Amino acid sequence: MDINSRPVVVKRMPERLNSRTAREFLRDVRPFLAADRPQLVFDLSLVAQIDAAGVEMLLRCMSEAHKRDGDVKLASLSDQAAVVLELTRTERLFEIYETSTEAARSFSGFLPNAMRQQLLHNKRSTQPIAA
Amino acid sequence: MDIRGLLLANSEDSGATATAPPATLDVAGKSTLQRMAERLQQYGISSVSAVVEDAPSVGVRNFGLPSDVTCISATPDRFWRAAENAFNEMAQNGAELVVLVRLGAYAEADFEKFVQFHIDRGGRVTQLASGPQKLEIFCISASRRNDAASLFRTQLSHCRIECPLYQDEGYLNLLAGPRDLRQFAIDILTRQTQTCPAGKETRPGVWIVGDAKVERGARVLAPAFVGSMARIRAGAVITRCSSVERHAEVDCGTVVENSTVLPFSYVGAGLDLAHSVAGMGRIVNLYRDVDVEIVDPKLIASMPVASGKRLLASATDVLTYLPRLAWQGLFSSAKAPQPDLRETLGQTSPVLGNAAGFETSACDTEASHKFPNMVVARRYGHQ
Repeated sequence: MDINSRPVVVKRMPERLNSRTAREFLRDVRPFLAADRPQLVFDLSLVAQIDAAGVEMLLRCMSEAHKRDGDVKLASLSDQAAVVLELTRTERLFEIYETSTEAARSFSGFLPNAMRQQLLHNKRSTQPIAA
Repeated sequence: MDIRGLLLANSEDSGATATAPPATLDVAGKSTLQRMAERLQQYGISSVSAVVEDAPSVGVRNFGLPSDVTCISATPDRFWRAAENAFNEMAQNGAELVVLVRLGAYAEADFEKFVQFHIDRGGRVTQLASGPQKLEIFCISASRRNDAASLFRTQLSHCRIECPLYQDEGYLNLLAGPRDLRQFAIDILTRQTQTCPAGKETRPGVWIVGDAKVERGARVLAPAFVGSMARIRAGAVITRCSSVERHAEVDCGTVVENSTVLPFSYVGAGLDLAHSVAGMGRIVNLYRDVDVEIVDPKLIASMPVASGKRLLASATDVLTYLPRLAWQGLFSSAKAPQPDLRETLGQTSPVLGNAAGFETSACDTEASHKFPNMVVARRYGHQ
């Protein structure tokens, strides 16, 4: 079992996130969400307008990712996106990072590191003791 | 002595803007125009006129001014001419002194001392100042029409003689932007000002105008203000110096915290409005210092100012409620079947992937070739 082999997918979100663009975006990311333990970063730096359908789509992506033990993280939030996420109380549901790089890096953060330590421990314990 | 008051309210930019002058915006139930007119009257200046720039209707007759205040409406290009005419008319009708106030800034000046200072100095024009800040508040001897004319023609920026300054230490808010507007609401609700919120103090610190509707289950926590005909729906919370102005509506479950909801604005259900000024399809978030346009009427919307249009909208809503429900019932997609618990428990978790003996789609480089607008930003580990 290799915990570090999974890719982190970064997707830049469109400037206007309404019901139509949200549908298109969801169609685009669906194959990635269907993967095992998907790791997605949505870059919202370009977002100038986001409505309830856009927020709903983000939640849907998160829910799909969680179902498969993955996660969706947000990065580079524009002021507009930040205000709407705050208004709709959804900002507290996501991990939000300053940059996409930081968000992508965070996937190798706490949990995988802990697991890595455990794996290393298991490996050591199964190694034959030198005679 | 015949002392009269002249109030001027116009937009900062004299272009054809569609917005109302900031002085006509309600803060805790009354506009600064209304508050200043009342203040002048409190100081015994009974004859007050207001020259207000033409603007889309603010939904209240005569800008909410007391009935004995004469209100003159003027187009932006004729505004200063109208102000000068109003001054001349006062002079012709026997006024000896005119207290001229341009809003903008709201200052709780002591007009009695101000006028006395002007009389004692025997000046033609006296200007009011608060510290180093010169305010657009003047006391003008009505007989000095030329001095007044020079003031009006330079939009109060210059007088042909040097004006003595009267220093006043009263409350001052420049009302230069949304932050000041918000601060003004806080100052009124926390009683930092002499002026009070409109309506009745129903509980200590909670001001609700009589015809406002606070539904059962909604909470208004002090200090807070709910304006005339405003509606706070069930489960909503209004708190921390928030001000919901007249005809505004806060929908179910929404929390309004340290915010102002402008008149005729709708705030959608289940939202969290904090540190903001919301209305006219916009949110100014003071914490982030950003002005955001909200296009989704489910979040923030403007309501029609004309009562007829509001009534029509409500009637349409009521009449179409049942057909809409029927339509949704007939044509909406079928509900997903409830998963059977036993069956679900019997299934292998997809998380286990190949280890559980079935295939899972891989999110790898193949997929990123297939979808060129996606990028694999970083790979970790040895692959």
